[in-house]
Amino acid sequence: MRVARCLEVWKMGTINYLESIKLQKKLVSDRKTNKISDTLLSLQHPLTYTLGKRRTDHNMLIPMSQLKKIGAELHYTQRGGDITFHGPHQAILYPIISLREIGLGARNYVEKLELTMIELASLYGVKACAGQKGETGVWVGERKIGAIGVQISNGITSHGLAFNIDPDLNYFKHIVPCGIADKGVTSLRKETGLEKCKSQRWEGQGSFKGLQWLC
Amino acid sequence: MASRALWASRAASYLRISVFHRGFSTVLKDLKYSDSHEWVKVDGNSATIGITDHAQDHLGDVVYVELPEVGASVTQGDSFGAVESVKATSDVNSPVSGKVVEVNEELNNSPILVNSSPYEKGWIIKVEVKDTEELNNLMDPEGYTKFCDKEDGNH
Repeated sequence: MRVARCLEVWKMGTINYLESIKLQKKLVSDRKTNKISDTLLSLQHPLTYTLGKRRTDHNMLIPMSQLKKIGAELHYTQRGGDITFHGPHQAILYPIISLREIGLGARNYVEKLELTMIELASLYGVKACAGQKGETGVWVGERKIGAIGVQISNGITSHGLAFNIDPDLNYFKHIVPCGIADKGVTSLRKETGLEKCKSQRWEGQGSFKGLQWLC
Repeated sequence: MASRALWASRAASYLRISVFHRGFSTVLKDLKYSDSHEWVKVDGNSATIGITDHAQDHLGDVVYVELPEVGASVTQGDSFGAVESVKATSDVNSPVSGKVVEVNEELNNSPILVNSSPYEKGWIIKVEVKDTEELNNLMDPEGYTKFCDKEDGNH
């Protein structure tokens, strides 16, 4: 018999990257000691570039001085994955969940994160799919619409996924996104041509989709 | 995975090693196991450590292994490094406390060894064990097999 599980969803609006890291560290620690239940953070970041544990800074194509000029921050993280960009109108989910309690490994967890974005895209008539081997993420043809970068510590997840609703895709030109040089990036706005893609509404829907597979 | 299990059992029988088969993942006799899916092989006060077949299967293809420095201290149950697979970094914890005496540099060039040979070529670190009594905190092969079945049953 499956025990009823609880998922607490935090809809946070726009939050600075370092603030979100600080919050996630606290939540991971609390989740590890069972002070809290599984938690899902739903948010956006201001202009931010981040690198994963492998510190692939050769994929950042502009110098720090130019980053400062455009008002973007750069952060090194402990998550998996390569370099990526976060900004307004890109919807982010950071699930802080215990994989051991649901018997999931990294591979299955990441597949479910991909499915969350694929199903979300399909609600808007966009046919997205998971990447080929070695290209984790969500793609529409040769264009990446959703990225994943996760950290798992004692079976507790942090970081998560970033789905392009309508961010300014020009910011991706300053990096080799996810270290993949010969493929582009896209957004829900670009794929649907919809004038208004409200990120706030997606925050709700994205959280709901995330909820569905977690329960 | 089924053909790999068949290969493993043939190799094991040739080498005269007993194996337990739990579905598609292999658990080796003569090793001890932690609840975070690391194995340790102890010889006197020298220990070799890696992650289990169950762990590598659940991780996906490993693309990067973060190794500790030789000389670093490790503590039972605490993280000493990490592996990256499918854009996820997963901590690797030490099943014993002690000092790192050797790391598997081969993993810098071929991290996939963790998947293809988790108990042999994919070993991660060697440790000078501080207290062999700590091994009593770990699981034997039968216990680990049951533990994996229970954990997978949660899904």
